[in-house]
Amino acid sequence: MPTIYYLILSFALFLIGTTGVLLRRNALIVLMAIELQLNGGNLALIAFSRQLGDLKGHVFAFLIIALAAAEAAVGLAILVGLFRGRQTVNLDEITLMKR
Amino acid sequence: MTFNLRLIPLLPFLGAAILMLFGRKWSRDTVVAVAAGAIAGSCLVALDAFFTALPLAAPTGGLRDSVGTWIAAGPLKIDLAFRLDGLSGLLCLIITFIGFLIHIYSSGYMEHDPDYPRFFAYLNLFCGSMLVLVLGDSLPVMFIGWEGVGLCSYLLIGFWYKETANANAGKKAFIVNRIGDFGFLIGMFLLYQYAGTLNFQEINATATAGGVLTQPLWGATVAFWAALFLFVGATGKSAQIPLYVWLPDAMAGPTPVSALIHAATMVTAGVYMVARTHAVYLLAPGALAIVTAVGAATALFAAVIGFAQNDFKKVLAYSTVSQLGFMFVGVGTGNFEGGIFHLFTHAFFKAGLFLCAGSVMHAMSGSGDITIMGGLRKKLPWTHGVFVVCWLAICGVVFSGFLSKDSIIAGAMSAEGAMQDFAWVGRAAGIVLSVAALGTAFYMSRLYFLVFSGESRASDEIKHHIHESPGSMVGPLVVLAIGAGLGGLIGLPGGLFEHADWNLLDRELSPVLGAEVEVSHMTEIAVMVGATLLALLGIGLAWLFYGGGYREPSRKFAAAVPKLVKLAQDKFRIDELYQFLIVRPIKRIAQAIYFVVDRILIDKILVGVPVAAVDFFGRLSRSVQGNGDGQRYMAVFALGAAGVLYFATRPMAPDALKVTVSGLGVDVDARRGNKAAPEALEYSYDFDDGGKPEVSGAGPTAHHTYAQAGSYTIRVDVKDTHWNTSTSVKQKVTVR
Amino acid sequence: MSVLFPDGASAGDVVVFWILAAMVAFFAVFTITRKNPVTAVMSLVATFFGLAAMYATLSAHFLAVLQVLVYAGAITVLFIFVVMILNREEVTPLSFRPLRVLGVLAGVYLFVKFVDVVAVGMPTVVPATPSDTFGTVAAVGDLLFRDFLYPFEAISILLLVAIVGGVVISRSHQKEVAANLAADYRKQVHELASHDYPGAAEEPAPEGHH
Repeated sequence: MPTIYYLILSFALFLIGTTGVLLRRNALIVLMAIELQLNGGNLALIAFSRQLGDLKGHVFAFLIIALAAAEAAVGLAILVGLFRGRQTVNLDEITLMKR
Repeated sequence: MTFNLRLIPLLPFLGAAILMLFGRKWSRDTVVAVAAGAIAGSCLVALDAFFTALPLAAPTGGLRDSVGTWIAAGPLKIDLAFRLDGLSGLLCLIITFIGFLIHIYSSGYMEHDPDYPRFFAYLNLFCGSMLVLVLGDSLPVMFIGWEGVGLCSYLLIGFWYKETANANAGKKAFIVNRIGDFGFLIGMFLLYQYAGTLNFQEINATATAGGVLTQPLWGATVAFWAALFLFVGATGKSAQIPLYVWLPDAMAGPTPVSALIHAATMVTAGVYMVARTHAVYLLAPGALAIVTAVGAATALFAAVIGFAQNDFKKVLAYSTVSQLGFMFVGVGTGNFEGGIFHLFTHAFFKAGLFLCAGSVMHAMSGSGDITIMGGLRKKLPWTHGVFVVCWLAICGVVFSGFLSKDSIIAGAMSAEGAMQDFAWVGRAAGIVLSVAALGTAFYMSRLYFLVFSGESRASDEIKHHIHESPGSMVGPLVVLAIGAGLGGLIGLPGGLFEHADWNLLDRELSPVLGAEVEVSHMTEIAVMVGATLLALLGIGLAWLFYGGGYREPSRKFAAAVPKLVKLAQDKFRIDELYQFLIVRPIKRIAQAIYFVVDRILIDKILVGVPVAAVDFFGRLSRSVQGNGDGQRYMAVFALGAAGVLYFATRPMAPDALKVTVSGLGVDVDARRGNKAAPEALEYSYDFDDGGKPEVSGAGPTAHHTYAQAGSYTIRVDVKDTHWNTSTSVKQKVTVR
Repeated sequence: MSVLFPDGASAGDVVVFWILAAMVAFFAVFTITRKNPVTAVMSLVATFFGLAAMYATLSAHFLAVLQVLVYAGAITVLFIFVVMILNREEVTPLSFRPLRVLGVLAGVYLFVKFVDVVAVGMPTVVPATPSDTFGTVAAVGDLLFRDFLYPFEAISILLLVAIVGGVVISRSHQKEVAANLAADYRKQVHELASHDYPGAAEEPAPEGHH
């Protein structure tokens, strides 16, 4: 399929992820939506990589996957710590910057 | 001729600066050494200039030292320059020499004071400022010194500022002086406007040439008003009616300060200034009359107040006011040399009197109340001796005061030359001064008898501590007594003895001030005899009332007219009058302004409104930016990105079309600015705004000819083919 | 029709693409709209699988496997763990606050603009099928360990830091809190002991820890 289809799909995936980030109250779901966004980016990279026949896109995507893993780990750790303190993961309630 | 005149004020300024920076770390001896050394250095330079360099330069206006151009604003050019001629040189010597003596005196008097270095720093600062005042070559430079001595007066009067009364006295001095300074400034402006210069030489030359300054102005001449306003400044600085009220309060300062500033130097600045601008005064006999009248009135008024004062220094303060009145009568009757002569002798004997006061107060454990003094001649022999010399000098019986006072009264009697139509004012003043001289003799003798004669009326505790002052205090006293005694010799009226050249003062001053007043021999001798008789009468009366303590006649008198005595003691309630007439209304106005302007206008409106605005916008931006809601940030982020895209991809269309009409045809230019349109833009022109573009897909300019004349609206759509965005611009056009 | 079936693409490719695309999109939307977090995680896994398959069709074999291993494997497991710790259902999953809706709409605008502008001008040719060694482990590994060695090592360190950070953040603070309290108490006692009595100094007010 022409690359543009993949690009549109990747943008759509990114958009869905953004919607999830902006509109969900549960912090856990928000983190999942962030993963969706990253995957959208990966898809675009790989599509271009195939079109140009250049493996650099793959390398970049690889690094992004590794990065996403690290970020998910740390983010979840923070979330757990936040939950311990505030007993909630509802983002509407966790808006105070200083206790 | 030039000479390093700048050293004369510079050395004391340096001394002051050094003492202010380092004085606190040094020992007392070092501090005195620096301060007295600075002023002594000044004295030596002044002596050198006066006796070696001046005689050569005198005919050409004296020595001049210009440090540089101070103000150069359009036609106004003022140099920071100093001039030493007979007049300013004489004053320099007085200031530096008596200043030096007082520095030595202070080293003993202020020995126990913790603020020792500050005192000497201020003293040096004062001397420097006074020297600038005296040496100034032009009115602004003199004004620098004028203000400087005002400042130092404030600092030194309020030296012991921890007592509110002292601080208030300092404030009063400064504020009253300021009122006078306003007059000085007006006078200065008038002179500049009409004479075009502020330099003394040039002003006096212009005045002598006449013409410019005798123009009519406001009902009188320019010279009259300039002289009058300058004199207002002088009344402030030299404590004449109506601005004398600060001087008695100024006695709150340390006694050496009173001696230096309020006897010998600062208060004489007014007299000096009149003498400096004498040519202007000579052009306005009316002004001279006013000066004379004020001087005479002040002399008498202050003397009467002095009759009833019970504080040693207050008596001397009113005496100073009175003697300054004498000096002003001198210069007011055109007898400038006489006024300066009295200034010179007064400096010595009044400073001597004040230092004696310090010595006496030192002995009486700090009290200046003469009602508890008495019999001090036995315990304070040196002080007593010096006091006698100065007392006789001020009474005008013998020694220097005799000669200077007589020269003034004689001059007043013969003032036709200067005062012309107002010569009667001079004669009246002469008579008033004679009465004032009687009064002077009376109150000074009262002071002498109550303090030194008879038996002590003090408590045992105080009596126990009475002792003569240390050498550092007595030494200067003796030197001043010598000056008071013999100083008059420089102004010996040699004319009487057919030896006009015996008058040294005249030799120095006449190049500057013009020839001395012609006084007939008859007048002179008559005045001498008459004044001496009056002085003896005054001493006699005082002895009658107070010889050896409070005697019967004084008590009977006090019992007979108690109200009068009280009134005189209360200084005729002038201070209270000023308070009622001037100070209270001003305070009320200030309070009203405070309430309206400060509280309401500034605090509520000018401050409150911006504060509320900042608060509002802060809240607004905080709610958008800083409320901790991460998702909100991301939403704004997305909005921002969309916004950037939108605005960045809009095609470049002008705000208004450039339409040129020629007959029925129009040329439309839809470029933005004058640059060539980018290639990706497509223009379509709708010349009658009917929805259908006549020309599409074209370039930035188009031409159209209308079928009919009328008003049309041209709409241009600009499309960016790359980004697929478009805008449109409309313009009305009228075609004939 | 030529949009759905572009020229030059074989029928099989097209069908596979559309099925996978629909699956990915559907499950993505599903993820963000579930009330139950477990369901959300499951649909996320489905999305990942779909993406992995798509990578495979794009000859990105290494990455496809990596996607399954890391994303659908490790990261999903992480999410499951945390879901288990804080399993709460929400009453109303989506919060339609005005500003956020605007944000979403801005995103949609950007998408539309993208399609409008970019898609219009892009060439719609199917790229040539890459060689068999394209996207294999060996090929990507070769690039990683040669030209991109520095980023590779850097990302390793990043992972290390993330591990350490994760551990630090999720440490139990109970011991620390207790230690702080004990230190405060000891300080108070010391201060009281070092003042002279009677009535020499006020007692220091006990400070609440923040």
